[in-house]
Amino acid sequence: MRRIAGIVLAVLLIGGVVAAVVAGRGEGDTSTATKTVRAVIGSEKAEFFADPDVVKALAAKGYTVRAETSGSWAMEGLDLAGYDLALPSSRAPALGLAAKYGVRGELPRPFYSPLVVVAHENAAEVLAAGGLARLDAPRRGTLDMARYLDAAREDRTWQQLRGAAKYPELTGTLYLSSTDPETSNSGALYLAAASYVANGGRVVASRAEVDRTAPLLRKLVSVQGAQQSGSDAVFRDFVSGAGNPLVVVYESQVAALLAGGERPDDLVVLYPDTTVTSDHTAVPLTAGGRAVAALLSTDPRLRELEVRYGFRPQGAPTAFASATAYLRTELTGIHQAAVPTSPVLHELARRARGQGGERT
Amino acid sequence: MRARVLAGALAVLTLLTACTARRADGPEPGAPRPGTLRVLASSELADMAPVLERIAGDTGVRVEPVYTGTLDAVQLLAEGRADGRYDALWLSSNDYLRLRPEAARKVVSETPVMASPVAIGVRAATLDALGWKRDDVTWSRIERAVRDGRLTYGMTDPSRSNSGFAALVSVASALSGAQSALTGRDVAQATPRLREFFAGQRLTSGSSGWLAAAYKRRGTVDALLNYESVLKGVPGLTVIRPRDGVVTADYPLSSLASAGAAAREDVRRLAEALRSPGVQRMITERTLRRPVVASVPPAPGLDRARRRELPFPGSRSVADGLLDAYENKLRRPSRTVYVLDTSGSMRGERLARLKKALTALTGDFREREEVTLMPFGSAVKRVRSHVVDPARPGAGAAGIRRDTEALDARGDTAIYTSLQAAYDHLGAAGDTFTSIVLMTDGENTAGADAAQFRAWYAGLDAERRVTPVFPVLFGDSDRAELESIAALTGGRLFDGREDSLGGAFEEIRGYQ
Repeated sequence: MRRIAGIVLAVLLIGGVVAAVVAGRGEGDTSTATKTVRAVIGSEKAEFFADPDVVKALAAKGYTVRAETSGSWAMEGLDLAGYDLALPSSRAPALGLAAKYGVRGELPRPFYSPLVVVAHENAAEVLAAGGLARLDAPRRGTLDMARYLDAAREDRTWQQLRGAAKYPELTGTLYLSSTDPETSNSGALYLAAASYVANGGRVVASRAEVDRTAPLLRKLVSVQGAQQSGSDAVFRDFVSGAGNPLVVVYESQVAALLAGGERPDDLVVLYPDTTVTSDHTAVPLTAGGRAVAALLSTDPRLRELEVRYGFRPQGAPTAFASATAYLRTELTGIHQAAVPTSPVLHELARRARGQGGERT
Repeated sequence: MRARVLAGALAVLTLLTACTARRADGPEPGAPRPGTLRVLASSELADMAPVLERIAGDTGVRVEPVYTGTLDAVQLLAEGRADGRYDALWLSSNDYLRLRPEAARKVVSETPVMASPVAIGVRAATLDALGWKRDDVTWSRIERAVRDGRLTYGMTDPSRSNSGFAALVSVASALSGAQSALTGRDVAQATPRLREFFAGQRLTSGSSGWLAAAYKRRGTVDALLNYESVLKGVPGLTVIRPRDGVVTADYPLSSLASAGAAAREDVRRLAEALRSPGVQRMITERTLRRPVVASVPPAPGLDRARRRELPFPGSRSVADGLLDAYENKLRRPSRTVYVLDTSGSMRGERLARLKKALTALTGDFREREEVTLMPFGSAVKRVRSHVVDPARPGAGAAGIRRDTEALDARGDTAIYTSLQAAYDHLGAAGDTFTSIVLMTDGENTAGADAAQFRAWYAGLDAERRVTPVFPVLFGDSDRAELESIAALTGGRLFDGREDSLGGAFEEIRGYQ
């Protein structure tokens, strides 16, 4: 029986290759047959890889990328046999994948994006009036992380902030919502930034520092209730008007929305004064994957398109020319905290999710 | 040539799947087929059929939905019984899924497709009488109106229907005064207020569709709690999103780790198509849910004022504790009569199946529920009532099992006379949910006939007429006859044939 199944699978694999080639031919570019590269990517890069211009730029270099999304940390649980490339949204899960699949050498880091907080206008206004944020422009501001964490420690509610009474949606505990830090990168990076501030401006490294910061992180997470598992979903909910008025997302997600020509009138981008950046890091699993990773770092056209999607290419000054009303062109004045090592970050996420057994 | 090899291989694969597929509860999806996604879906998504039809035309990706309740779907996933049988999951919300890590792990990616918040739809006359303005209604005001006897409502059963669950979380969060995600302590503290609130519930249902129909038929219920999109479809209701917060369903299309790469690629394409502006526009116009892309405005009539999103409980113990409290302590208790055909034709295997199905049900009865078994042949044979008493755990269930074991098959089939006896037994509904389950394997052969029953029923006073009959098809029962009983009494017909009597009984629990 097993042998029959093996034969069937082999036949199916042949069939699969045939189907892919045929499909490739069907989609235009008849002259150049491209090589298909299967990638698993963080959900925030889905629109970049789906953009026809990106598809064209990759095809011009001989590649078709079939991308599937997954939470960056959840990639560890996937079987990546048959994939050419993994592209989680930060370095730590990439290192884990590289170790698991025996990928050696420097991992390419084609672009990065800082964490920001998207706020509805009313919420931003009340935060600014309460001294928790500063508006640098009508749609752009800075969030005072230390004061925010103080508010979180004290379980401060919106009702306690002046000016909130006007807005019925601003009630209950004031908090930032994020993705699940155990499965998703943006949620984990939020804890990285918060733990850095809570630890007096130092990266959490020792057991004592974990113990000291964990209770506050637990608070930041438990107040949110059930968390989503992908940064795309939380941003979608925000855009559709559902959900919490303050959400931690990547700057790139906002930039991509703006690059699409949207000018949401109820969106203010707050840059935490201490934040972390996600270094989108490639884990090439095959030669094809390596080639695509290299193109993302070096091809001028692709780098141009990366900017369109709000990613900041490594080593290049960026200007989001069309969206300066919402976005900073440069990150001067924003402190970029380093991210704890992978085991420490995992432990922080675990404790924050209440997996220490102290409470269910 | 190659195409034929591929087709042959697929055929073999189909056979392999067929002989290894485990028989599990619930409907069985088909074998995998390229271009067709087997999707485990919330039943409310049935209204997406025209949208999916259009997408199939545009992209070639077809959806083959198997509908189920959220809690059942999560259980299926957690036990690994969805592996290889489904390619995607599409529930109204993944909030509950996230509380079960062993189920959440099965999901690779999720794409919210549309949104609808929990709301209350209120009859115009009631709205006037209460003097409510749409924008300043809070859950506390609703609670006060209920307490003062000025507002009654219907909602779906939270254990079976996502809309009921979301409504329960909204009400509990708001009335407990919890400032963030609910804890067990919040629920315990809010229990007296919640009990008052749920005393106003006059209709319960296993599905949103039946709830709306029952509301219309009853004519005396003032409001419905459900998703905004459902309420917008019920004529005469003013839809209000309480200003102190709501829980919103965001309908995430989720791909499953156990699905093949080709299927996952199809899920991705389906998600992409669902979020294209044209389809988003169609969704909001046809289904009255809210779009999730910024470039498409919500359909006219969907109020755009912001509402606080109430956080969903962050742990399973809190969510399950809330469900348990609702079923066993907060809601009005049920009084249920099982009118069971034990005529001669039930002898043998049929009776054995009935006994098995009833016995399986005993763990499912709620605290404070009164369950009456009324076996009949040429007339009602016995009337035995049991109350599930929390002070004597297991006693009620044991009694029901004992009486079930004692059933024996003899006599003719006096359906209508027995139904009359059940109505007489129940009397007025009072502070309970009353219902009658009618299980028969044949036609009426003794006692009152259909016309006599109809005339008798018409003479009942309104308080007694509210009790619906839920007939169950079994053996050689007459579908038309049972359908007309369901229609007359405002019940619903269930199918218990083909070894699914237990499934039908279980489904009816949502309506009791």
